[in-house]
Amino acid sequence: MRFLLFISGICMLAAYSSCSTAYKGLQAEGENDCMASFKPAFSRALYNTNVNVVGKHLSGLLIIKTMPDSSVRMVFSNEAGFKFFDFGFKKDDFTVYYIFDQMNKKSVIKTLRKDFQLVLMTHLQSSNRYFIEKNDGYYHSFRDGQDYYHYVTDASCKELLRMERAGRRKKVMEAVMQDYRNGIPDTIGIKHSNFSFTIELKRIHDAPDQ
Amino acid sequence: MRNLILICVLIMAAFHVSAQYPGYTAIKDINAFQTGFAAASQKTTSIKSDFVQEKNLSLLADKIVSKGKFWFKKENMVRMEYTQPFQYLMIINGQNIYVKDSQKENKISAKSNKLFQQINKIIIDCVKGEALESGDFNTRIFEGKESYLAELSPVNKNLQALFKNINVIVEKKNYEVTGIEMHEPSGDNTIIHFNNRQLNTTLPDALFAVH
Repeated sequence: MRFLLFISGICMLAAYSSCSTAYKGLQAEGENDCMASFKPAFSRALYNTNVNVVGKHLSGLLIIKTMPDSSVRMVFSNEAGFKFFDFGFKKDDFTVYYIFDQMNKKSVIKTLRKDFQLVLMTHLQSSNRYFIEKNDGYYHSFRDGQDYYHYVTDASCKELLRMERAGRRKKVMEAVMQDYRNGIPDTIGIKHSNFSFTIELKRIHDAPDQ
Repeated sequence: MRNLILICVLIMAAFHVSAQYPGYTAIKDINAFQTGFAAASQKTTSIKSDFVQEKNLSLLADKIVSKGKFWFKKENMVRMEYTQPFQYLMIINGQNIYVKDSQKENKISAKSNKLFQQINKIIIDCVKGEALESGDFNTRIFEGKESYLAELSPVNKNLQALFKNINVIVEKKNYEVTGIEMHEPSGDNTIIHFNNRQLNTTLPDALFAVH
């Protein structure tokens, strides 16, 4: 009986969720280049990284580098050099060059891919673009399949307030990029809404020209 | 004809070795090396050293350099403290591992995690020189002008996925370990150089306390 009540509760919650929408009223948006100024130019950046996922903690170093073919490589290893993953992003393409066996799960890779695509702003060239003005900001949104990538700015599009990844109705995660220096953010934060998962990146200026 | 083929194979093998480790050739007297190394390892009760770690990312043509301090005390206590360009502390004390990063501190029992157990054993065995005799690796020894290079190739499949081989660099004059190179199957590697080494100084156990 309790189990049935639980199931019905979940169903009601699911039904309620599907009715509510955080992004109602998105309108198609024409060409708008204002987002381009926020797109991080990761020529080469090293970040001190902290990952917290459902009570587990992982720290390490994330290096992000733009390669000669304009793809962006991301390698995450622990402080002692033990590599966790090596990903490549190029427009719509995504390559897993390496992933540590215990992390090698479709759901993990998919989540990381989408989270970092939001941060890298890989969808800015998409023609599936939308816009809505809300009380908490101006949403410049890009659709990729069932996913929406929202970039929330102030009215003049001079400040990127936050980024959000969502389904059709509900926010999945939120991210921020702050304190840009030479086009590269010093701080990047990722926080998921539906389960306890955060990624915190703080840039390490390890090269003299940085 | 057979002899010709044999000579060709030997020449190719010799080229392969010298190409693999420039400046090194396969050692002639393995026994002499093993005896000298074992004697030096036995005499070493503690090591205090600075270290420089290079993580070389081959496809990215990039490297991450970090520095810190290293302590070892027999039988199985290691403290590695990274100080630049980030703060990170790792203590291995027997089966216990303590890690403190920029955000959290964590105590892990190597017993609960087979991978940690293996990596823990590799670090201790490399420093103590026991990895050379371990059944976990196939070992080849090479000789350079001033140092030996002990190439350890993992036998275990799990370790093979992580490391193509681990090279331990040993100084010729005193058989001290001056470097450890961990080569990954992808071509990336992590190289640790030990500088300003001090052997057999008194190191308090508190240095290796796992809180």
